Amino acid sequence: MSVPDYMQCAEDHQTLLVVVQPVGIVSEENFFKIYKRISSVSQISVRDSQRVLYIRYRHHYPPENNEWGDFQTHRKVVGLITITDCFSAKDWPQTFEKFHVQKEIYGSTLYDSRLFVFGLQGEIAEQPRTDVAFYPNYEDCQTVEKRIEDFIESLFIVLESKRLDRATDKSGDKIPLLCVPFEKKDFVGLDTDSRHYKKRCQGRMRKHVGDLCLQAGMLQDSLVHYHMSVELLRSVNDFLWLGAALEGLCSASVIYHYPGGTGGETGARRFQGSSLPAEAANRHRPGAQEVLIDPGALTTNGINPDTSAEIGRAKNCLSPEDIIDKYKEAISYYSKYKNAGVIELEACVKAVRVLAIQKRSMEASEFLQNAVYINLRQLSEEEKIQRYSILSELYELIGFHRKSAFFKRVAAMQCVAPSIAEPGWRACYKLLLETLPGYSLSLDPKDFSKGTHRGWAAVQMRLLHELVYASRRMGNPALSVRHLSFLLQTMLDFLSDQEKKDVTQSLENYTCKCPGTMELLTLPGGPTLPPVPFTKLPIVRRVKLLNLPASLRPQKMKSLLGQNVSTKSPFIYSPIIAHNRGEERNKKIDFQWVQGDVCEVQLMVYNPMPFELRVENMGLLTSGVEFESLPAALSLPAESGLYPVTLVGVPQTTGTITVNGYHTTVFGVFSDCLLDNLPGVKTSGSTVEVIPALPRLQISTSLPRSAHSLQPSSGDETSTNVSVQLYNGETQQLVIKLENIGMEPLEKLEVTSKILTTKEKLYGDFLSWNLEETLAQFPLQPGKVATFVVNIKVKLDFSCQENLLQDLSDDGISVSGFPLCSPFRQVVRPRVESKPVNPPEGSKPGDPSHVKTLEAILNFKYSGGPGHVEGYYRNLSLGLHVEAEPSVFFTRVSTLPATSTRQCHLLLDVFNSTEHELTVSARGNEELILHAGECQRLQDNPPSEIPEERQSYFPLRGIWLQIGDKCEVRVKLSSRRGEASVEGLLNQLVLEHLQLAPLQWDVLVDGQPCDCEAAACRVGDPVRLEVRLTNRSPRSVGPFALTVAPFQDHQNGVHNYDLHDAVSFVGSSTFYLDAVQPAGQSACLGALLFLYTGDFFLHIRFHQDSASKDLPPSWFCLPSVHVRALEAPA
Amino acid sequence: MAVCVAVIAKENYPLYIRSIPTENELKFHYMVHTSLDVVDEKISAMGKALVDQRELYLGLLYPTEDYKVYGYVTNSKVKFVMVVDSSNTALRDNEIRSMFRKLHNSYTDVMCNPFYNPGDRIHSRAFDSMVTSMMIQVC
Repeated sequence: MSVPDYMQCAEDHQTLLVVVQPVGIVSEENFFKIYKRISSVSQISVRDSQRVLYIRYRHHYPPENNEWGDFQTHRKVVGLITITDCFSAKDWPQTFEKFHVQKEIYGSTLYDSRLFVFGLQGEIAEQPRTDVAFYPNYEDCQTVEKRIEDFIESLFIVLESKRLDRATDKSGDKIPLLCVPFEKKDFVGLDTDSRHYKKRCQGRMRKHVGDLCLQAGMLQDSLVHYHMSVELLRSVNDFLWLGAALEGLCSASVIYHYPGGTGGETGARRFQGSSLPAEAANRHRPGAQEVLIDPGALTTNGINPDTSAEIGRAKNCLSPEDIIDKYKEAISYYSKYKNAGVIELEACVKAVRVLAIQKRSMEASEFLQNAVYINLRQLSEEEKIQRYSILSELYELIGFHRKSAFFKRVAAMQCVAPSIAEPGWRACYKLLLETLPGYSLSLDPKDFSKGTHRGWAAVQMRLLHELVYASRRMGNPALSVRHLSFLLQTMLDFLSDQEKKDVTQSLENYTCKCPGTMELLTLPGGPTLPPVPFTKLPIVRRVKLLNLPASLRPQKMKSLLGQNVSTKSPFIYSPIIAHNRGEERNKKIDFQWVQGDVCEVQLMVYNPMPFELRVENMGLLTSGVEFESLPAALSLPAESGLYPVTLVGVPQTTGTITVNGYHTTVFGVFSDCLLDNLPGVKTSGSTVEVIPALPRLQISTSLPRSAHSLQPSSGDETSTNVSVQLYNGETQQLVIKLENIGMEPLEKLEVTSKILTTKEKLYGDFLSWNLEETLAQFPLQPGKVATFVVNIKVKLDFSCQENLLQDLSDDGISVSGFPLCSPFRQVVRPRVESKPVNPPEGSKPGDPSHVKTLEAILNFKYSGGPGHVEGYYRNLSLGLHVEAEPSVFFTRVSTLPATSTRQCHLLLDVFNSTEHELTVSARGNEELILHAGECQRLQDNPPSEIPEERQSYFPLRGIWLQIGDKCEVRVKLSSRRGEASVEGLLNQLVLEHLQLAPLQWDVLVDGQPCDCEAAACRVGDPVRLEVRLTNRSPRSVGPFALTVAPFQDHQNGVHNYDLHDAVSFVGSSTFYLDAVQPAGQSACLGALLFLYTGDFFLHIRFHQDSASKDLPPSWFCLPSVHVRALEAPA
Repeated sequence: MAVCVAVIAKENYPLYIRSIPTENELKFHYMVHTSLDVVDEKISAMGKALVDQRELYLGLLYPTEDYKVYGYVTNSKVKFVMVVDSSNTALRDNEIRSMFRKLHNSYTDVMCNPFYNPGDRIHSRAFDSMVTSMMIQVC
């Protein structure tokens, strides 16, 4: 006996062994079809009794095992069923002969046999025979099951008779000695009459009867016989058979306790017909433990034929604990015999199965440990594999998954042992796959994406390497690529630098032939291998969707009010919806991409490998919108730090696009890496809206591009900056070419300008344009160009460089007027003393430090195409950088009286601060040529008349108006032209003194206007004095008072006002006036009587009620009137 | 005397493993790995016992032809496994027990290190030298 049956379990002790074999040429398919039908009849209830027969079918059984049939009767082949093909009657005798030959093999033990003949028809088939059944073909054989049942019943009859025959042997009769094959020679020459020998015979026979009882379905009887046998054999130290008796006892007890069976699947199948559910069957029978062996039932003096007393009493049954003890004992006895190795091994296996049901894993593992050491004869490779596999299975059964995996792996290695001529790589691979759960390794990379890898990396890596190798030798490169990718992806942290190199090297070798894909690989056994995306090659740390560049960013027109306001709630803000907002913000980014425009996503990646990593075909994976991804290839240096990579693509349709991940090709393996599966990736949202296409505008200008960037505080991003240098007051045209470089027609254009905050005071319009001419060329089709002209005019106040002005002007503003003329203009010396006259050394005119810069942004809002319909526009900004240099300065202002009292000439000293020759002209006057650094006086002619409307508008600023509006100084520098403004020059102080009083004064002495000459009068005659007031302003003036005070000027600076005895007033010297209406006149009439001759002056003083400051100072000093009193003629 | 010392985390992956015949390290990996089955079994059997009465020393896990594998489990389910040459009969249970206690103390010191992250591999020189002393010490 050398071939162990690892599938044995305790229940097999109660089965009858039937061998089913083909004879002649029977196709395997047909044979197993019939075999399956035959094996379905595994349990037969014997007629007119409660007993049940169990049949074990085998299609292969080594005859040498049959020789152990006396030792344990379930090892004995009692039935033979032969299946054969026979198509003609001619072949029949030959076939029948073969059947007999077959019978001979197991002949000694067979109770009965059957021959099933398929295909034969005719007269031979007609004759009824008990041992032969004829069937026309393999399909038409309904009676097979019935035949088998009959056959089994015939077996039962033989069995029953044998049992009775053996059991009723009289104790006095000579009982033959049963023995196992290797014992036979030991007993030669032994004294057969000794008591010892007899007992041995008796014990062995008892054991044999027990076996037969068990097979015949008489469990209680068998228990009794086994107990007796144990007692008998123990006394004669017949250990081998004692072991067998104990094992029989155990088997019977197990059958009693676990009617569901211990053999797993086969046991369950056996119980299919029963009403007892499988779970309940695995439980102990209630009360079974209490049943103890009744010592009274054990009689040692001979075999008691009457076992009926014990029937129905289960007390002989072993308790579950005892079963294990007895198994241990039995195994220890078996182990004394080297030749009983198979028996010992099988007993171990059976015990383990029982322990597995009892859930006593520790003890089971001890049995298995023992089984490992049972040394059988030199096993063939196949047997070794079988043995390791079964060990693995048993370990699995008791929950020792790691141990199970270990043995399965050993079995797998055995499949491809170098001693095997044809290594079974396929089987090896299959077994290796089965070990995966034991090493807590799943081939799904998703299980490894959560945090750091926690597992027994050393053994897992080993297993993966073996899988790779096995799959390669199997001739399935796709599998090995998949496994190798998996190894690289999941075990990256555990690989040494050298291993990383080796693994990638071999991966590259494999992928040359079979590139790695993202498809599920289906294994032959049914499980699938999920794809392995290389999320760690390179490692992505951050994913950021980039907005379009500022010039291409779409903006929503504000016209549709309330679109942004959430319609869900009437509140502008509520904490309840704030939560939702937060969520949305996480998902959706608040900028838009535009259909047809290149959009960018920035990834921060790094290479964990100790060598350069080449990533090819890296692109974006998106959903929601048709997206044309433009893949990139990159090469990351070894152990690089974070490295920015920009992936680009063009959305082809509109909607909401979600960036799900990216795809790469690394070492020839395609990977689709989804962001959701990436650990530790920072992302600021991955969903963005794609709006319909918009045109694209490109602008080019006539001016050179500027390297200057605008002030950082500007806030607006500009795409282009241009710069220009201008002299102050100069005007230049900026021609802008607008080209539509997009795919959509440009329909709308709006231009706005924004002057960046500057401290400089700016006069007039800096930028001006006429959009109509440009808009006439619209809509602008793709590729077409339109022009747009902007006038740049720089008018800055350089006069605040006061030191220059002060330096050059001798006496400030000298306003010379006629003394008696009204208005009186006072000579002003503004702040000369207050300012130190020491200009800084560097502040020469034309010095670069005097250059002032002006910055402005021209915004082009444009739209068109489908995006325009949706209400989007784009904004293109052009930064304008203007450097203004001073051109001419007005260094001095003075006035000359003009012909009219209300007009004057303005004299300006003009200084050319440029390095060029200038031509200056003022309102039609001849041109004045100014050389560089030269200063000349320029006269400005007053207009003939002040326009009425201006006057009425600015009543107090008559002259100023003339200057402001009319005094334009044109400057010409070669071809460049400009205007110099005096606005800054005439500051408030100057202006106040140039202002014109609202009232016009006319002093009449004796009815004659007293303008310039002294009026003459006679002493003693009253002189009529009339002060006529004409209001030229639009509002009424008053109330006020006028006082006339006469005085004499002694020409030495002394004014003598004490003239009460020289001059006398007729009437009042003070006039009160309520109001002078606009454009109205008012007169104050009085008379003077001069008592002495002499030159008198009249000082007319002006008083106002409230000393309100809204009247210019010139009011308070009205002109003096000169009167010469002459001797009265005699 | 010990030929292999391993510290295994609660989740059954090695925190530390070192063996003397370094050329066949994988063999010990397999040996310790499979011993976890027995450890698990013993722990689950012990589960019913009160925590404070629990014996941390698990005793002999299983013998192989050349080695004996002993186990020890802390209250936080960190396992220590020691492989001893089975030819070394001088080693008694008590010695093994004291070795485990030393190992446990040293492991506690490692855990007390504020720079050690529980769950990481142990790279402690003090622990290393302690293990080395256990491996070469002859008794």
